[in-house]
Amino acid sequence: MPTIEIDNRIFEVDGDGFLANPEIWNQEVAELIAKYDGITELNEKHWAIVNIIRSNYEEKGMAPMIRTICKETGLRLREIYELFPLGPARGACRVAGLPKPDGCV
Amino acid sequence: MKKLSKEQIEKGLSVLNENKDSKFITHLNSCVRCGLCAESCVYYRVTPEARFIPAKKVDLISAVYRRYKTFAGKTVPGLVGAKDLDDEMAAEMTDLLFGACTVCGRCTMHCSIGVDISYLVRCGRQMLSRMGLVPETLQSTVNAALTTGNNMSISEDDFVETIKWLEEDLQMEVNNDDARIPLNEPDKKLLYTLNPREPKFFPLSISAMAKVFYAAGESWTLSTRMYDVTNYAYYTVNNEEASIITKRLYDEMENMNAGTCVLAECGHGSRAFRWEGPNYVQKSYPFEVLTSVELIAQYIREGRLKLDPAKNPDKVTLHDPCNLVRTGGILEEQRFILKQAVIDFVEMNPHGADNLCCGGGGGQLAMSEYNERRIKIGKLKADQIKATGAKVVVTPCHNCVDQLTQLNITYKLGIQIKTVAEIVAEAIVLE
Repeated sequence: MPTIEIDNRIFEVDGDGFLANPEIWNQEVAELIAKYDGITELNEKHWAIVNIIRSNYEEKGMAPMIRTICKETGLRLREIYELFPLGPARGACRVAGLPKPDGCV
Repeated sequence: MKKLSKEQIEKGLSVLNENKDSKFITHLNSCVRCGLCAESCVYYRVTPEARFIPAKKVDLISAVYRRYKTFAGKTVPGLVGAKDLDDEMAAEMTDLLFGACTVCGRCTMHCSIGVDISYLVRCGRQMLSRMGLVPETLQSTVNAALTTGNNMSISEDDFVETIKWLEEDLQMEVNNDDARIPLNEPDKKLLYTLNPREPKFFPLSISAMAKVFYAAGESWTLSTRMYDVTNYAYYTVNNEEASIITKRLYDEMENMNAGTCVLAECGHGSRAFRWEGPNYVQKSYPFEVLTSVELIAQYIREGRLKLDPAKNPDKVTLHDPCNLVRTGGILEEQRFILKQAVIDFVEMNPHGADNLCCGGGGGQLAMSEYNERRIKIGKLKADQIKATGAKVVVTPCHNCVDQLTQLNITYKLGIQIKTVAEIVAEAIVLE
């Protein structure tokens, strides 16, 4: 099992760096993963996105549609791509502690 | 890895018995060891170990062939380089044929005697597939498609809501409340397809293509039952599963009574449906199949799209998806389009038929197991992009888009990545 080390904490991840155990996720873990991706501070907008992704995952077992993220956060599509330069999947879903979604992402 | 059972090994070997024509054994036994394929391979170029040479990958399969199918291999295997299909061999085949090949076909193009190396790699993958050794993450993408109808398990309600949302967006964009993104409308000229990552996460390319159709006055529809252009079973080489996925789109074409199936910007999906598909479903198509790249080029040539390149002032380069240029026959259309849609177009070196894979092909993007290698081989593409000085990279493949997005961050390229439809939509002049 690959691991990543951020600020002296070691996380088990899949090959793409998504948490191997999504249940260990909390706010601090989110901040650390974001930091690993070069996002030094998660602002209110980042959190709005991360929280909706996380709650959708806990409820339905998968990431929400980008439509849902826009609707629930009131953010524009392009803003989301700017906030998470790796995109909603490899960026935001990873910070939200989800497993990697299937498909071309 | 769990120890292989006798049945598993027999299933793997069954691939060696059933090829209908002479292509498989001819190509498998024809390598002249000239070594020209070595430098053509992105894996060998970033990690110059002999095992990454395409001919060495093929040699794994031919060693097994010799062991079970030739007299010398059965009697004196050590003398003729024949090898058992055992645990060690299966692990090596998995690591190299799944984990170190993007099936880009560049080695095939450079082969001095024309061995279809990427075809042989797929035959090797087929052996592993029958043995149940497809990497889990890749199989999971196929399973999602098989069980839910699309590879990201998008529900019908979610899909419809997304399309309605995009339709409202389109109406604002073109300032016309009658602008539509038609859903499930029979008897249209075209049935358009999507990569599921578009509705799920990256819908700007759907909006862009809808704007193109609007500007061209096209008669088109999407279908909620089947819109997924991808077919990852092409890469797992499970032909039964590939057939099921192909048949769905085939049936939907008949169901919607559309004349032409238009494939979204997707390299492997284009190859799988257009060229492999009739073989998967064992019948020829009674409809036409076009890639959206060809269709957009056609609109421009016919004067149905008016473009103002001044709307795309930045320097733009093009990344050619392997499955369009080397096995798709689509070399000129994307260049013709860009020359009409942008002011400053520059080619990468090499480009076109000799283009380097971005590193995400062959199912690599889906396989977490080999992520590190994928990013490593992508450096060649990152260097190519840097050398052009372009601010925008256009590529007609959503899989390449995702790999380039990661390369953009990893190698600090500072670029924007767009599909062909997206850059064209920017340049459209509405009458």
